[in-house]
Amino acid sequence: MAVRRADSVGMSFGGEARLEQEYDPFVVFREAFGFIPNLLRAQTALPRVIAAHAKLEEAVCLRDGAIPRIHKERVLLCIAADRRDDYWVALDTELLTSFGVPEGQIDNLLNDYEHADLLAPDLALLEFCLKLSRDSSSVGPEYVEALRAQGFGDEAIVEAVVLAALAVYRCTLSVALRPEPDFKPRNLPAKILRGAGEAVPPTLATDTRRKAKRKGPYVPAPYLSPNTFKPFAIVQKSHGFIPNFFRAQTLRPDLLQAELEAVGSILLPEDVLTRVQKEAILLAVSAANLNSYCVAVHCNMLRGLGLSAEEADQIAVDYRLSNLSKADVALLDFVVKLGTRFSEYSPEDAAKLASFAFTREQILESTVVTALNNFANTLQMGLGIEPDFEPPSIFEKKKVNPSGAATTLMPRQGVVHLVETSQDADAELVAQAQCGKLEAFEELVRRHTQLIYRALIAILGNVADAQDTMQDTPLRAFKHIGGFQGRSKFSTWLVSIARNAALQRLRDRRNTESLDKNETEEDCGFRPRQIAAWQENPEESHSRTEIGQLVEKGLLQLPAKYRVIVMVRDIEQLSTEEVARLLGLTVPAVKTRLLRGRLMLREWLSPHLAASSKGAAQ
Amino acid sequence: MITCEEFFAEFADYLENQVSPEVRQELELHLSQCRACHVLYDSTRKTVKIVSESDSFELPQKVFDPIIDRVMAKLRTDPS
Repeated sequence: MAVRRADSVGMSFGGEARLEQEYDPFVVFREAFGFIPNLLRAQTALPRVIAAHAKLEEAVCLRDGAIPRIHKERVLLCIAADRRDDYWVALDTELLTSFGVPEGQIDNLLNDYEHADLLAPDLALLEFCLKLSRDSSSVGPEYVEALRAQGFGDEAIVEAVVLAALAVYRCTLSVALRPEPDFKPRNLPAKILRGAGEAVPPTLATDTRRKAKRKGPYVPAPYLSPNTFKPFAIVQKSHGFIPNFFRAQTLRPDLLQAELEAVGSILLPEDVLTRVQKEAILLAVSAANLNSYCVAVHCNMLRGLGLSAEEADQIAVDYRLSNLSKADVALLDFVVKLGTRFSEYSPEDAAKLASFAFTREQILESTVVTALNNFANTLQMGLGIEPDFEPPSIFEKKKVNPSGAATTLMPRQGVVHLVETSQDADAELVAQAQCGKLEAFEELVRRHTQLIYRALIAILGNVADAQDTMQDTPLRAFKHIGGFQGRSKFSTWLVSIARNAALQRLRDRRNTESLDKNETEEDCGFRPRQIAAWQENPEESHSRTEIGQLVEKGLLQLPAKYRVIVMVRDIEQLSTEEVARLLGLTVPAVKTRLLRGRLMLREWLSPHLAASSKGAAQ
Repeated sequence: MITCEEFFAEFADYLENQVSPEVRQELELHLSQCRACHVLYDSTRKTVKIVSESDSFELPQKVFDPIIDRVMAKLRTDPS
């Protein structure tokens, strides 16, 4: 069959960097489809994104897996038709025809799939995938249970979810790239499919659905070791942990591997867009899709890339009120429209972005990152994957009714305060202190004296210096309280002032032990040496004072970067997320240092509290 | 059964009670059969407990009262 050049309609992304027919990802498609789709040719300006797409297609669609290929093609056709995507409808129709599906049955699928003589399990699969592709935030466990009731096993359920995610990926690309159709487009009927948005699983009664309301994940996830599954070792190294997003799919290592390779090809290189820009795209589109899981992940990633917690939260809540450049706001306008209001998208949107001096490659990459984001959002909702981190509370509060997912997320009036001061028990006293009322300020300082003191000791490493520095924090706090806007809790703000005062004192004394130094290989490889079992109840064989003294001595001999985290986490009981915000670290970095600090303290305490050393406290 | 290294990779999340039921099952199976990891887990858990309950570095009131008094006196005479 004759293959035409890509895209004469929208903005061209193909052309100059023509790839050989033997280019590996193209070979995958030629073997599977018998030709190279124009959508792929439209991405030749960035060959690595074609490689990513090929990996996904090959793993999810082209292999038989737990769901037969022909059933998967049927799902892909119906999702494309539901989104009125002429490009994919034409291509999927041709493929189904080549598999021997009669023309009449394809017409029925497009006109009214309920009467296309599908068997009950096939209908259930189609309805599940349609629902997920159309309105992923409203898919709950009851929809997964409906599939199980039709005989789908856990592996097939994972495959169905990833299939719907792939369909969304494909269609997001075709909306923006507007490739010339590979085959003659079909005339789609005015109303193609019944409203899967309103559809409830036909197999479940209301009370069963209510009972099925439980937390995710919806399928079991057996343990997969980074030692035996190399892609996990790579994620562990690049992220510092393995996100639940990947852990939840361990039933299907084949799909996981393809996803991880695609993520690596699309997100990690910085030759076109920067990593920060890509994470901001993922955050803004996930927020517009109301996906708390992905919002939390990308807020955290942006913090790790150097943005403040407030800046990251602001992008989630309303990027237009953030302090991003006009060009970056235009970039986010482009991707949010493409990712969430695709029917309104037009080629002028890409042209507008180009007017902000974005290159063709950058616009192409932002399109692919948006498609990847929608893939991830769909997959996370479909499997009910539990969060790795708390999403910003202000984002959760601003989440609107999921049925409004396609509309603007945030109200536009005024500046959004990222943490509402009414949540903070200190809010009233803070307001009074801001008006100059000294009694209110004194009460605030008394409330938080121990917190300030411990923060100082944690950084300075000795009691005398901490007591000497105690005055500085309240004096600095009073001087700047007018500028406190309630973006964090008052106590957190106070600790950050104490931290700065302590660091200043260290600098004055030229003590340069850094709190910010990243983990070295040696840190990550720390292994405990003390292996003697501890007494059953150390509290019974030592007085509270003895144990208190031991803990204090042990803490003081820890390096500052570990001591700070152990003290604010374990003594002050701040959450891991709060500690990360306070110290400007990522959550994985806090977790790594917390474990290391606890283990070092354990080493120090072991000789005193081991079963063989009763009463040996000093 | 998972190895000690694999156990250690999950240890931070296990201490924080943040592992999935499937992973927890694997870790607890390992703990039941590996003395070294059991000792490590038991003693680290106890470390966290005694640190959390220790109220370490409490500044006595007789120390902090004069500090706060000095701060407030300074602010009253020169609030800027």
